[in-house]
Amino acid sequence: MFQLKWVWQNMEGLKGRYIFALCCTIVLSACDLMNSIITSFIMDTVFSPIEQGAAINEALIRQLVFLVVTLVLFTLFRTSTNYVAIMTYEHCSQQLIYKLRKKLYANMQNQDQSFFSKNRTGDLMTRLTGDLDLIRYAVAFVFRMLLSSTILFLTTIIVFMTRDWIFTLCLLAITPLIFLVTIRYSKRVGPLYVDLRERLSQLNIRAQENISGNRVVKAFAREDYEKERFDERNKDFREANLKASLLWLRFWPLLSGLSQSLSVAVLLVGGCFLIMGRISIGTFTLFNSLTWTLANPMQNLGMFLNDLQRFFASSSKVIELYYNQPRIVDPALPKHHAGRVEGSIVFRDVNLRLNQADVLQDISLEIHPGETVAIMGSTGSGKTSLINLIPRFHDITSGELTIDGIPVNKYPLHDLRSAIGIATQDVFLFSDTVDGNIAYGDSSLSEEDVAKYARIADVDFIQNLPDGFDTIIGERGTGLSGGQKQRIALARALAVRPSILILDDTTSAVDLETEKYIQNELDHLDFPCTKIIVAQRISTTKRADKVVIMDQGRIIQTGTHKELCQQEGYYRDVYLLQNGLEEEARKEVAQNG
Amino acid sequence: MARNRFDVDENLDTPFNIKHLLRAGHYIGMHKKKMLLSLFLSAMSAVCALFGPMLIQQALNVAVPAKDYGLLIFLGVLMALSIGLSIWFSVLRSRFMTIVGQEIIYDIRKDLFAHLQRLSFQYYDDRPHGKILTRVINYVNSVSDILSNGIINFVLEVFNVIIIAIFMFSCDYRLSLVVLAGVPLFLIIALIIKPAQRKAWQLNSNKNSNLNAYLHESLDGAKITQAFTREEENAEIFDRLNRNCVKTWMKAQYTSNLVWYSVDNISTWVVSAMYLVGLFILGPTLKIGTLIAVSSYAWRFWQPILSLSNLYNSFINGIAYLERIFETLDEPVTVDDLPDAAELPAIEGGVTFDDVTFTYDGSKNILEHMNIDIRPGESIALVGPTGAGKTTVVNLISRFYNVTDGKVLVDGHDISKVTLHSLRSQMGIMLQDSFIFSGTILDNIRYGRLDATEDEVIAAAKTVRAHEFISQMEDGYYTQVNERGSRLSQGQKQLIAFARTLLSDPRILVLDEATSSIDAKTERLLQEGLQALLVGRTSFIIAHRLSTIKNCDRIMYVANKGISECGSHEQLLAQRGSYYHLYTAQLEE
Repeated sequence: MFQLKWVWQNMEGLKGRYIFALCCTIVLSACDLMNSIITSFIMDTVFSPIEQGAAINEALIRQLVFLVVTLVLFTLFRTSTNYVAIMTYEHCSQQLIYKLRKKLYANMQNQDQSFFSKNRTGDLMTRLTGDLDLIRYAVAFVFRMLLSSTILFLTTIIVFMTRDWIFTLCLLAITPLIFLVTIRYSKRVGPLYVDLRERLSQLNIRAQENISGNRVVKAFAREDYEKERFDERNKDFREANLKASLLWLRFWPLLSGLSQSLSVAVLLVGGCFLIMGRISIGTFTLFNSLTWTLANPMQNLGMFLNDLQRFFASSSKVIELYYNQPRIVDPALPKHHAGRVEGSIVFRDVNLRLNQADVLQDISLEIHPGETVAIMGSTGSGKTSLINLIPRFHDITSGELTIDGIPVNKYPLHDLRSAIGIATQDVFLFSDTVDGNIAYGDSSLSEEDVAKYARIADVDFIQNLPDGFDTIIGERGTGLSGGQKQRIALARALAVRPSILILDDTTSAVDLETEKYIQNELDHLDFPCTKIIVAQRISTTKRADKVVIMDQGRIIQTGTHKELCQQEGYYRDVYLLQNGLEEEARKEVAQNG
Repeated sequence: MARNRFDVDENLDTPFNIKHLLRAGHYIGMHKKKMLLSLFLSAMSAVCALFGPMLIQQALNVAVPAKDYGLLIFLGVLMALSIGLSIWFSVLRSRFMTIVGQEIIYDIRKDLFAHLQRLSFQYYDDRPHGKILTRVINYVNSVSDILSNGIINFVLEVFNVIIIAIFMFSCDYRLSLVVLAGVPLFLIIALIIKPAQRKAWQLNSNKNSNLNAYLHESLDGAKITQAFTREEENAEIFDRLNRNCVKTWMKAQYTSNLVWYSVDNISTWVVSAMYLVGLFILGPTLKIGTLIAVSSYAWRFWQPILSLSNLYNSFINGIAYLERIFETLDEPVTVDDLPDAAELPAIEGGVTFDDVTFTYDGSKNILEHMNIDIRPGESIALVGPTGAGKTTVVNLISRFYNVTDGKVLVDGHDISKVTLHSLRSQMGIMLQDSFIFSGTILDNIRYGRLDATEDEVIAAAKTVRAHEFISQMEDGYYTQVNERGSRLSQGQKQLIAFARTLLSDPRILVLDEATSSIDAKTERLLQEGLQALLVGRTSFIIAHRLSTIKNCDRIMYVANKGISECGSHEQLLAQRGSYYHLYTAQLEE
């Protein structure tokens, strides 16, 4: 039931209109019998007399014209009101969905990284499309039908009661039974709908991964395997659908039979009463002709409760997202940094635990404004985790991490992240123009500036593309080579003119010559900037003011290139390895020269 | 077609066409028997329901005047029976239709997915993935009901209209003509509304698709958005898309709801007109029984028309989705097996480019008249500036794209004449982006060879030096991973992808910047294991680390739409050409 309350709360600002629409529905349901009443009136007052031999005089004509006009005008009024009501329902449900989507989207944008690693895109998409649509359907249609069925049912009972209450009570005897059956059904179908939407979500996930991973699928010629796997989900979804529908079809004969048995009751009870002389033929005809107005709502009740169950299953999934709070949020008492961040970064005994595993331990590191720090280490040693702490993609578990002396979690998130330009390892580009991608962090950037940062990052291949900077990149940057993507990501990071520039192995797929060019450019940026560079190549670390070596989540060595070269350890090994190769190469070149 | 973006509608130029429904007939046709049976059951159910009024009439005319309780009870039992039968028939029908509806969407979705598997890279590169996803999931769900119940009901209602019209005319043809006069009026209104209605639904499905595409991308790129604090601007863009959805939906509703509105009013007009005609023209000759009968038929005549127009509405709505589904199904498969494609026999790994010219979009040749000849077992390094076409060359060998001109031969077989599966399954291709599927690490490596044993998987992981970090994870090879989260670093992902490729035991191995994110030391270890593996396999290696390149049998420098230099490391150095320049550049300080 919380779902209903939640929907109602979110209708803030629409409540008045929605109530208006509900009132219209009430009035309209109550008038449902009007047409037949006017028609019978026409018969009784115009055509009956004529048949009995009355002359067609002006009075009769006036009477007929009057009634016909009433009929037409009433219909016009009824349909127009209904039209307005339906459009109001549509309006309210659309506005509600609009608002929910907006809030959900904003909430999604603020979620932590841990949220996105827990929740599959396909599942989130299900909640934001299919599940939301069921909420819309409930608000626009199901509630309306539930109400109008109820009203029709009640008005008919009132009409019946005024005629003959004993007869009416006889008919109503079966209603509790119908309610019992309906409630039993609702209870049993609820879990099936929960299951159904889970299957839909699974189907969505499978399709989504296949689409995203289409290159790998083709590379391994795994199309048939993928089809099989998708087929499993497709079948599961079909079975779950059938299970819910067939359960409904098991209960439906019962519901339908019970409600239609009203006609039999009218025949038997009414017949007996007639024979006994308790009721008139007129009463019998009335009861008989209006049985459907009792039977239909009862029969439909089950159907709408069915929809209501789906609404409950879906809306609880949406509500989960709606109230999901990110753990990394603005501090309660933010400290504002006056002026531009200078970029001194201090790690003091920082630990990070994620998923019950120690990812970083005892990290202490001091970085002065304007310094270039290179981080090196084996695959999975925690380099990326370390730099993820600075823009607060993860919060430290213990210790202290400050920028310009202020702990990172005391900055307003927006201020903190605005001061940082980051090019992540897993390059994600948006399906937008190259221009739009570079200016992602600052869309007010002028064309010249875009070109400038593109030049620094050596995005020169753009000129070879037919539309230059207006070339649209495929989703995630498909169609571009790894090196091209990395360079665009670098330009994007530079374009925000950050105080702290974080490059996570950003030039790994770039050829050496280009890398060298980029490094030279980075040394001459026209804004002050602390640089943290994760790198594999000595050519990069050599230029750094400080080199940090990581292993298994700890810093094992710190120092300048020269210092580290003289110590036994990882750096020296890598240096000798790469240097040895280089020496060899030098010799070769010398030989060939 | 230009590449599609989230905020660009995918326009569909074909006019409204009943063809789409007929085409859907293919899916319905498989269930012809059940559909016909359902039609029959519905008719039976309707017939049974007709007994009710007759029984009541009997009760009033016979049982009540005679005060015959026995007869009354007998009639009541008959009525209960007829109702029971009617319900039984209609439940049977619903069962069939539910099953048929589910089968239909299952089939459509299956075909759609199968077709998507055949589409080339280009298709996926050219449009946001959210749009493809929406079609496979949401659109297909939307058409299930109209293709099952919708069609049955349509047929039933048409019958209904005809039968009622016959009954009505048999009562009084003059009054009936008046009632019928409303039909052309309604048709005119329907015809006026229709184009606007269809357009509105199409527009709405477009806007929805745009919204989904943007949503999808936003979810995938949330980290970048946060890093660049773009949340607000994104929210504005989303808001615009969101508004468009609402606006187009409302517009579609405004027009669609006019249909029942006009039916309801027109039916009242014709009935009213009928009364007036009855009074003024027919006058006293008219029997009131006839008038009551015709007027009750008149109301009932418009009932099925209203149902038909509602059905019509949902057809129009559904067709907007069907069009999209068929459009995807019709998407030409650019890289496909020839009708008489042969299986490529077990290969040794010789690769020949015979005068190959290639262009992606027809406007600019990437490669021109390229000739290369590679012996089985040779290792080839491809080097050259970014964008010169290194990846293109290897993509052509796996036939991810068709050559524009010329031929690519593997062991003398033209690869365009053999089945894609037989070609690609003998190749191991490690792409730049190492996509990780959600599942265990074991499953991910096993993707390379589905019947590999656990030991074989572990052996492959050991070869690429991935074993160590995998066994350190909490569940080892059974650790759940996925594309985004899961603590796997980029380098670790590459190692897993590498193991996956090796496990497939290919004759031809393609490594496209396969080790770019792996640290120097691991790479060194990897190289040692790799050298042993390369023996006996033809390999193509694209890399920037010259240490990786040097050991290859031949190095090809890709530039100027072809191979500009080719030879061993020593030979190329001696040539003092582009390769020499590339190689020495890294040594300069």
